[in-house]
Amino acid sequence: MFNTKRTAALIAAATGTALVLAGCSGGSSGGGGEFDPDEETTLNFAFWGNDVRAGLYDQAIDLFNEEYPNVSVQTSFLPYPDYWERRQTEAAGGGLPDVLATDISYLRQYSENGLLLDLEPYLGEQIDTGPFDEAVLGSGEVADITAGIPISTNAWGLFTNPTLLAEIGVEDFAGGDWDDYTAWIEDTTAAAEAAGVEAWGAGDWTGRIQVFELQQRAQGEELFTEDGEPNFDEDDLRDFWNQTTEQREAGAFIPQQRVEEQLPLGAFDTALTASEMTWDNFGAGYLANLGEGYPELNLIEPPVTEEGAKDLYQKAGMLLSASAGTDHGEAAAIFIDFMVNDPEVGAIFGTNRGLPASETARSSSDLSGLDAQIEEYEASIADRLGDAPPVPIVGFGNIEEEFRVLGTELMFGTVTVDEAVDRFFTEMDVALNS
Amino acid sequence: MTATTPRPTNASGPARRAAANASAPRKGGKPPVRPGLKLRERREGLAGYAFLTPWLIGFVGLTVGPMAYSLYFSFTRYNLFSDPQWIGLDNYIRLFTDDPQFIQSAQITLVYVLVGTPIKLAAALGIALLLNYRDKGSGFFRSAFYAPSLIGASVSVAIVWRAMFSSNGPVDSGLSIFGIELGGWVGNVSLVVPMMIILAVWQFGGTMVIFLAGLKQVPKELYEAAEMDGAGAMRRFKAVTIPMLSPVIFFNLLLELIGAFQVFASAYIISSGTGGPAGMTNFITVYLYKRAFQDGQMGYAAAIAWVLLVVVAVIAFILFRTQKSWVHYAGDNR
Repeated sequence: MFNTKRTAALIAAATGTALVLAGCSGGSSGGGGEFDPDEETTLNFAFWGNDVRAGLYDQAIDLFNEEYPNVSVQTSFLPYPDYWERRQTEAAGGGLPDVLATDISYLRQYSENGLLLDLEPYLGEQIDTGPFDEAVLGSGEVADITAGIPISTNAWGLFTNPTLLAEIGVEDFAGGDWDDYTAWIEDTTAAAEAAGVEAWGAGDWTGRIQVFELQQRAQGEELFTEDGEPNFDEDDLRDFWNQTTEQREAGAFIPQQRVEEQLPLGAFDTALTASEMTWDNFGAGYLANLGEGYPELNLIEPPVTEEGAKDLYQKAGMLLSASAGTDHGEAAAIFIDFMVNDPEVGAIFGTNRGLPASETARSSSDLSGLDAQIEEYEASIADRLGDAPPVPIVGFGNIEEEFRVLGTELMFGTVTVDEAVDRFFTEMDVALNS
Repeated sequence: MTATTPRPTNASGPARRAAANASAPRKGGKPPVRPGLKLRERREGLAGYAFLTPWLIGFVGLTVGPMAYSLYFSFTRYNLFSDPQWIGLDNYIRLFTDDPQFIQSAQITLVYVLVGTPIKLAAALGIALLLNYRDKGSGFFRSAFYAPSLIGASVSVAIVWRAMFSSNGPVDSGLSIFGIELGGWVGNVSLVVPMMIILAVWQFGGTMVIFLAGLKQVPKELYEAAEMDGAGAMRRFKAVTIPMLSPVIFFNLLLELIGAFQVFASAYIISSGTGGPAGMTNFITVYLYKRAFQDGQMGYAAAIAWVLLVVVAVIAFILFRTQKSWVHYAGDNR
C-alpha cells in the first residue's frame, strides 16, 4: 500500500509543476512597439502557398532588406488547410507570427478573439492607403479594428482548358445559364469518351458553397444576414443540390474516385476536367500544376442565374495581418506596406497572390499572359459586380468545408440530397454556436 | 501508443516496494524493533522516489495533466481561442444522438479493428511458425519480414501505398493481368478500408518477432512426447503450441487491438487529411483530429477521445476477464 500522505504530497507537488508549466503558455499582452531602423529586429512571417510563392517572397524580402537591412524576416509557409491548423494551435498558445497572411473566411474569428493587431494607427502613416479602393480596404475592417490589409482582390470565375478541349474536339463554353453549362459538360464528357481521352467536362458544380451563394445573390439574397444568421432554408439548399442529381447519376461529371486519387491536386490541375469554377487567382497555380502540355487557360464568366443580376463580387483575396502579441508593431506595419504597395514587389508577384489590390502594385506590374487575362476578366464582369457580402461569420471556414465534403459524398452516392441537407444544417448549427 | 510502453510496469515495481517498506511498520502497529533498519529502509524509499522523479514528472506533466485537462474540456465548448465554456454533457449527447459522422467513424474503426487484427495476428503467427520450423536462413527471413514494421509507420510508406493503389497503379495493373478489374482502391468507397487493413497486416513484423520468441520457449520435450503418443502436426499445433503460446497470443492480441483503435498517420496521409473517400478513412482518431484542429471544436474532440479511451478500456477489461478460460501460464496447474 502507498503511504497515502506522502503520495498525496508527491502528486500535489508534481501537479503543481505541471500547472506552472502550463501557465507559462498564457497569451502575451502588448502589441505595438516602435521601430528603430538602426536596431536589429526580427519579424516572423507566415503565409500559405507552395515553393513557387515562397521563392517570390524571398525575392520580395531581399528587396525589403535593401531598404531595411536591420530587419530580418523569418518566413514559414504551408499549404492552405495545414496553414490554418498550425495557426489555430499557435493562437491557442499565444504565439502567432508577427506578420501573417489571413483569409477573409477566418478574419472575423481571429479578429473577434483579439488575436490581431489593430492596424488603424498605422494607416496613412507607415501603410499607404492611397492606392486602395475604399471598399476593398474596408473588407479588412472587422470587429471595429483594421485587422488586415488586402494584398489582392479576386472574383469568382470559370476556367476552361482550351488545349484539353481541342484534344477532345469540342468548342469552349459559349456562356449561358446553368442548364446550358450542364448541357455543355454532358457534351464534353461524351465527346471525350468518344475521342478516347480520359477527361470529363467538369466536376459537379454544386459542390461549392460559392456557387450556391452566387445563385442566392442572383435572387437578391446573401447567404448570411448582417447578424450572421443563415439566410436560406432547407428547401433552397435541396433545390440547389438537386439541379445536377440527374447528371451525377448519369456520370456526366468526373467520378469522385478519380478526384480523390489526385489529392492534394484537383481534377482540373491534372487535366482530367476541362472546366472549373473557382476564385480567379487560382489560375497561376493551375498553370503551374498542369505543366508544359497545357500552356494556356481561358477565364470566362460563370453561368447566369438571372439576367442583369449583380451576383458576382470582388473580395479581398488574401490579406496581411499582424499578431496582437507582436513586439514590433511598427516594423510589422512597414513590412506589410512594402509587401502590398511596393511597385517592384507587385512586379515580382504578378497575380500569384491574386490581382493586386493596391493600384501602385498593380499598375507597375507588367501583367501579361494569364495575369493580363485576370485583369481583363475582372474589368469585363463590372456589370455583374455587386456589393461584397458582409465579412464571413465566425466558423465560415468550417461551413465551407462541410459543404465541400457533402458535395463529394453526393458524388459517391453515399448520402442522398435530403440526408446531405440535414447534415449540413446540423453542422452549420454547431459551427455557428461554437 | 501508451499501451506499448512497458515503463509504467517497471517503474511501479520499485515504487510499490518502496512504499510498502515505508509503511510496513505502521501497519503492524508495533514499535519498530530495529530503528536503524527502518531508517535505512526509509532512505531507500526516498531514493526510490528520487530515481522515479524524471519519469514521474513526465508522467504527470505529459500524461496525467493533459488527460485531466482533456476530461475537463470534454464538458466544455472550447474553440482554442476563447476560454472554455462549461456545457455539461452536451458534447456526449451530441456525439450519440446528433452526429452521423461519428457513428460512421465508429463503424469503420470497428471494422478495421475487428477484421484487421485477427488477420494480422494470424499472418504473424503463420510466418513465425514457418521461421521456427527450420533454423537455416531464418535470420535473413526474420529480418526481411520484420523490415516493413520498421518503416511501416512512416509517412513515406503511406505515400507509396497511395500511389500503388491508385487507378492504373501497380496493384490495379497487376490485378488486371488476372482479369480482375477493380480500378483504384484509394478513391473507392468500398475498397479503401480493405486497403488500410492490408497496410496494417503487412506490418506484422513486430508481432511476429514476439511470437517467434514465444515459440522458442516451448519445450521440445512436449512435442516429442506428443509425437510418441501419435499426435500429428495439426494435433501438436492445437494441443501443444497454442496452449503454450497462449500468454504471447494474449499479449499480442491486446497490443494489436489497442494499436488498431489508434490508427491515424496512415489514414491521415492516404486521404490527404480529409478522411475521404466519403469518410471511409475517417477513423476515430482522424475524426477527432479534424474536429479539434480543422473545425476548432476542441471540447467535442476531447469528448470523442474519452469515448475512445473508455471503449478501449472496456475491451481490454473483457479480454482480461476471458483470460482464465484460454490463457495458460507456465506453472499454472489448470
